[in-house]
Amino acid sequence: MRKLLCILALLAGAAHAQDAYVIGVSAAMTGPVAPNYAPVVEAMKAYLEHVDGRGGINGRKVRMVVLDDQAQPSRAATNAKQLLDQEKVPMLLNVSLSSTYAPMIAESKRTGVPLYFAGAVCPKETYPPADPLQFCSTAFGANLDSQAALAFVKAQAKDPVRIAFQAMAIPIARAEIDYAEGLSKTLGMTVVEKQISPPPAPDYTPFATKLVEAKPNWVWSWSPWVAQVRTFESMRRLGWNGKYLTWAHLNAEEELARIKDGDFYVVGTNAFLEDNLPVHAEIRAVAARAKLDYPVSYLTEGFVAGLVVEQALRNTPWPPTPQKVLAAMNNLKVDMKGLRGGPLEWTKDNHFRTKQYYRVWRWDRAGNRIVRAQDWQAIEVKR
Amino acid sequence: MQLAVNIAVLASIYALICCGYVLIYRVSRVLSLAHGELMLLGAYGLYATASLFKGHPLLALAAAAALALMVGAAVYLALMWRMTGESVLAAVLATIALGILLRGAMILVFGTQTQYPLRDLGWSNASVPVFGARISTVGLALVLATAAVYLGLFAFLRWTRWGIRMRAAGQHPLLAAQRGIGLHGVYALAWGLATFTGGMAGMLIACDAGLEGTLVIIGFKAFPAALVGGLDSLVGALVGSLVVAAAEVLLIHHVDPLLSDVVPFAVLLAMLAVRPWGLFGTREELDRV
Repeated sequence: MRKLLCILALLAGAAHAQDAYVIGVSAAMTGPVAPNYAPVVEAMKAYLEHVDGRGGINGRKVRMVVLDDQAQPSRAATNAKQLLDQEKVPMLLNVSLSSTYAPMIAESKRTGVPLYFAGAVCPKETYPPADPLQFCSTAFGANLDSQAALAFVKAQAKDPVRIAFQAMAIPIARAEIDYAEGLSKTLGMTVVEKQISPPPAPDYTPFATKLVEAKPNWVWSWSPWVAQVRTFESMRRLGWNGKYLTWAHLNAEEELARIKDGDFYVVGTNAFLEDNLPVHAEIRAVAARAKLDYPVSYLTEGFVAGLVVEQALRNTPWPPTPQKVLAAMNNLKVDMKGLRGGPLEWTKDNHFRTKQYYRVWRWDRAGNRIVRAQDWQAIEVKR
Repeated sequence: MQLAVNIAVLASIYALICCGYVLIYRVSRVLSLAHGELMLLGAYGLYATASLFKGHPLLALAAAAALALMVGAAVYLALMWRMTGESVLAAVLATIALGILLRGAMILVFGTQTQYPLRDLGWSNASVPVFGARISTVGLALVLATAAVYLGLFAFLRWTRWGIRMRAAGQHPLLAAQRGIGLHGVYALAWGLATFTGGMAGMLIACDAGLEGTLVIIGFKAFPAALVGGLDSLVGALVGSLVVAAAEVLLIHHVDPLLSDVVPFAVLLAMLAVRPWGLFGTREELDRV
């Protein structure tokens, strides 16, 4: 009798799992770069649990299988295989360093399962004309970010711009800074220094010394946060008093309040808690319910990913197959509820977004708070 | 002048880290590959005590330093003590395992967010003018702390009973034991002091640039400086750190910042080709390895 009950319970469990939308995530949950990625996964998971609590998607629950790749390509490959061959997920997510992309793309192509990048930089293949299987919602976008940043510098500058560039020695950051260097020249700016620093350095002062000696009045830095901000802080300690523009990573809002420097600007595509939107109250409530350890300001990117997954699955008829999910993702419009400047739209040809909106923030010393230095500016994403 | 100040700060960082590698190797012939993790643990110790003793920064610092000393001794008594009599390779592998364990445990306990212990202590890292150059307050503290640690260690090893015992145990453990020196006590003290100096380096770097997991990599980056100076010489650690730091800073400034990552290892390779036992190392000791 007991055996029979056990078998029935197992069958019931299996039936319950089959009733759920299952998505597979390979993410850098531990390791040196985990601070950039783990909050995205935690927030997305909390949001999807919140969706489940409201009755799920199309009457079904969502189950997220998260495997840690520690930002190592070999682990990402193993994770992708496990998620595709054992868990049979119809949608694969990558929330990890760009070095893990290649093995996951290979697995996605082998099985025909769409691969969605939700935390790290969007690969070029998601821009139009997009690869049929690769999608991306991450805030930052190569080349577009430098276009937005340098347009801001040009609009702000009262004197001729003497600009310096800073990046960490990783391929994606170096390519972006090379692009920015070329672009700045077409905008009439004088490039006085371009510096690539290795990750991580025990002391950033030697790098900052060279930058300061070049006497820039603006610096544009596009790198992981540690390189961006440590270089800036070292430059300030050396007595440099120019303006520093950098990318708004997950922790930017908290860091602006820590640094408290009126000439330290961050450019980004996600709204700040400072905006106090109704969706921010929702994020706060979800984070409190899930007992997340991260500051609420770190969770926007994960919430955006959650909204995208929810909408994609909502448009996927039951039972979900990779083909049905892919069809839904190829024609997707997600209301960002103000977390971005406009809706996120994917088409068959564009798996990045049709428009990218940028805002710039800085610290206001007089008001002792974060203020917008520039409101949403849209850039059309074309071929 | 700014370059000289930059070299002094970087050399101090390397020297403070190297000190731990040298102390353990010199006394017990074990190469600790968990030194980076112990450094990180020391920094997290300060983060914890800064929260615990809010408003009492000096007490928090003293508690964190004492904690680092005790952790080092505990590592020896709980793990390395069992390696006595085993091959050196087994002991080195044990330190690798310890490093992996500590890394995982620290993520579980402290999470992955960057922390700022200096802010928690209620202090700021202002810039200070020095002979026409500028140095951060924590940078200055690093230079002074390194000088104090090395002077203290030289005095301790030369003039105190425990220091002389430590030197004896390092030179000939069997003879030292036959003369009644308790080797386990000496080794535990060496591990304690090594973790104390490494932890101090971790605390000061975390105060200067924030506390995150990449501190472990910085611990590894300092290792070539210890080898360049000679793994069994404290003077060597000091000189090796200065050589590596000078090469790094000058190449960043005059050639290419990207070279800074490979410079320590390039200097090490050059040293291995010319003088494999390092600038102040003992040739005989190297043969034994």
